[in-house]
Amino acid sequence: MDAEPGLSEQYRMASPWPLFIALGIPIAELGILFSLFPIAVGGLLLFGGSVAGMATESGYAKTPWRGLIGVAAPLAVLGLAFMFTRIGLPNRGLAIVAAAVILVAAGVAGMLFSPDREPTY
Amino acid sequence: MEVNGQLALTVLMGLFLVAVAAWLARVENWRSYTPVAGGGAFGQKDSYGSEEKPSGVIRWLTTVDHKDIGILYGAYGLIAFAVGGLMVVVMRIELIDPGMSLISNTFYNSLLTSHGITMLFLFGTPIIAAFSNYLVPLLIGADDMAFPRINAIAFWLLPPAALLIWAGFFPLPDVIPAQTAWTMYTPLSTGAGAGNQANAGVDLMLLGLHLSGVSATMGAINFIATIFTERGDDVSWANLDIFSWTILTQSGLILFAFPLLGSAIVMLLFDRNFGTAFFSGEGGAILWQHLFWFFGHPEVYILVLPPMGIVSYVIPRFSGRRLFGFKFVVYSTLAIGVLSFGVWAHHMFATGMDPRLRASFMAVSLAIAIPSAVKTFNWITTMWNGRVRLTTPMLFSVGFVSNFIIGGVTGVFLASIPVDLVLHDTYYVVGHFHYVVMGAIAFAGFSGLYYWFPLYTGRMYQKTLGKAHFWLSMIGTNITFFAMILLGYGGMPRRYATFLPQFATLHQLATVGALLLLVGQIIFVWNFVQSWLEGPEIEDGDPWNLRQSGLYTAEWDWFDQKQQTAIADGGDPDDETALTDGGHVDEPADDRSDA
Ligand code: HEM
Ligand SMILES: [Cu+2]
Repeated sequence: MDAEPGLSEQYRMASPWPLFIALGIPIAELGILFSLFPIAVGGLLLFGGSVAGMATESGYAKTPWRGLIGVAAPLAVLGLAFMFTRIGLPNRGLAIVAAAVILVAAGVAGMLFSPDREPTY
Repeated sequence: MEVNGQLALTVLMGLFLVAVAAWLARVENWRSYTPVAGGGAFGQKDSYGSEEKPSGVIRWLTTVDHKDIGILYGAYGLIAFAVGGLMVVVMRIELIDPGMSLISNTFYNSLLTSHGITMLFLFGTPIIAAFSNYLVPLLIGADDMAFPRINAIAFWLLPPAALLIWAGFFPLPDVIPAQTAWTMYTPLSTGAGAGNQANAGVDLMLLGLHLSGVSATMGAINFIATIFTERGDDVSWANLDIFSWTILTQSGLILFAFPLLGSAIVMLLFDRNFGTAFFSGEGGAILWQHLFWFFGHPEVYILVLPPMGIVSYVIPRFSGRRLFGFKFVVYSTLAIGVLSFGVWAHHMFATGMDPRLRASFMAVSLAIAIPSAVKTFNWITTMWNGRVRLTTPMLFSVGFVSNFIIGGVTGVFLASIPVDLVLHDTYYVVGHFHYVVMGAIAFAGFSGLYYWFPLYTGRMYQKTLGKAHFWLSMIGTNITFFAMILLGYGGMPRRYATFLPQFATLHQLATVGALLLLVGQIIFVWNFVQSWLEGPEIEDGDPWNLRQSGLYTAEWDWFDQKQQTAIADGGDPDDETALTDGGHVDEPADDRSDA
């Protein structure tokens, strides 16, 4: 086999997003479990924003805006389920829905107002 | 918490997010927006990969290079090994005398819980990921992992996981460490009863465990995708190396086992916090045991298969011959992978389950010893009449075989129901699995760390210190854990901070062994760090003289070419800072930077 050194150097070997995706998950989990509204929302925003950023960076999307909405959709479903089904955890559901709403808002705002691609927040 | 508290949290969270955003905006600046496909757009410089890597700490925080991530996993695993090891040293010192002396019984239980979880989830799985991340792409001729960014996410989930798992030991108000033991049996772990396990420390530990499971699952998906789709043209299933085979099998096991643990943990968290009764109702305790061990037994093979791969890889190199019966080693790996899902209830023989069911689990458990024995015989026959060179990595591999035999044979006895009913929940079980987890898995880890030391540091370790490390570990392991097997025969139950005076001598012996182990590991740390910084540099790409016996392999070939490119480029060997930080070299400067 030829593992030519330098071959793997043709693509980017650094990305700032994974770290924040990985941070967003535990922050969101802690916020939801202990019902700390701002922590839950913040963690989910960090997670969602970084996912959209990473999708853009790796070429899966041209801009992060639709990615934001894409992440928000399943979150909204989960949050609504927390609020209105037998799970019955309305406060925590509200936090998840709030995060989804903010992500959608950011996505829509981005699509409308941004001249070209920019990192999400 | 009232409005004020919420407000403060909101402000803090907002500030944090703004800081992250600002940092990201700055970091985005160093990136030359190279189009993902096809370089060259910006002229010659574009083929210089290191352009794409920032320097200093930021480089380590943002890297998606499989070799860097491998090194991060390795550092993480070794730190966890030190933490888990020091915890158990305190426990062994407490066990010198029968009564409660140095630490309280509850603190003993906390250390016990944390030691187990740290060693299995924060040392075992990550140290294996260190080898697989660094080596598998090199061995199969891939440029990198199939999903380099997912790879980085999987790693970065681990530091928060460790903080959560250890959170109970931090000076947080009202948070105490979990004392559930690593098996987290209900109803204790649901927080029921008059105990203190309803504490948030247990919730934090469960969250951390959940995160480490998410991380392992992401890694597993990545390895399966990489080995299936990223192999080089000349790497087929027929000539795939043994280590990659074990990683592939391990990843399959992870894929089926860890999500189940994750779900069971979420259910347990619901029981603890939201008033569900999955595990606290009738039959709940047994349900938890079934779910836990359906994960738990495959987990022990998740931990042992890749180390077996390392040993199968190292032993032939220092025996001067190919691995005996390569095919059968691969088949036995796959057989273990399948069978390991059919034996979980051997951990539950004493629960009063249906005897017919119990007998079938006994049969499969005895059967799984067969592929394990096949491997053992293959390692021995590989060495038989070979030109054996007892280098440090080889010593650790031979030590693996020796300890694995004791660990395996004691396991076969436990698999027999009548024997198990006597020995269950005694130190015999502790001795059994430590022969495997310490005597075999950790030994294989050391074997690999020494064998590939030149590959990832460009330097050589100190041989005498390596041998001292081996002998102290080998003798320490056998003293400690053989004493435990004898303690178990004597009827000493496991998981106690105090004991009857009749067990004192054997307990003291076990503590002596543990202290020998401690001395050995201190030598290891010194040797590892000092040699990485100042060891003699490796000049040629074949530090183990493998070409001579026709056992040269792909990763050394890569190393060799890397060495030559460095020299051809006029890379002055002393000029390492320039290589790292200047970044204008045609060559992955990455592994040298920490040299
Ligand atoms: C040769 C095949 C093996 C057999 C037949 C076997 C059998 C058993 C049995 C029956 C038990 C339950 C003992 C009891 O609690 O009463 C047990 C416990 C255990 N075994 Fe093995 N074993 C084997 C190999 C291994 C390997 C390779 C590992 C590790 C990688 C391992 C790790 C463990 C652990 C961690 C426990 C204790 C779990 C606990 O209760 O905390 N075993 N083994
Ligand atoms: Cu088992």
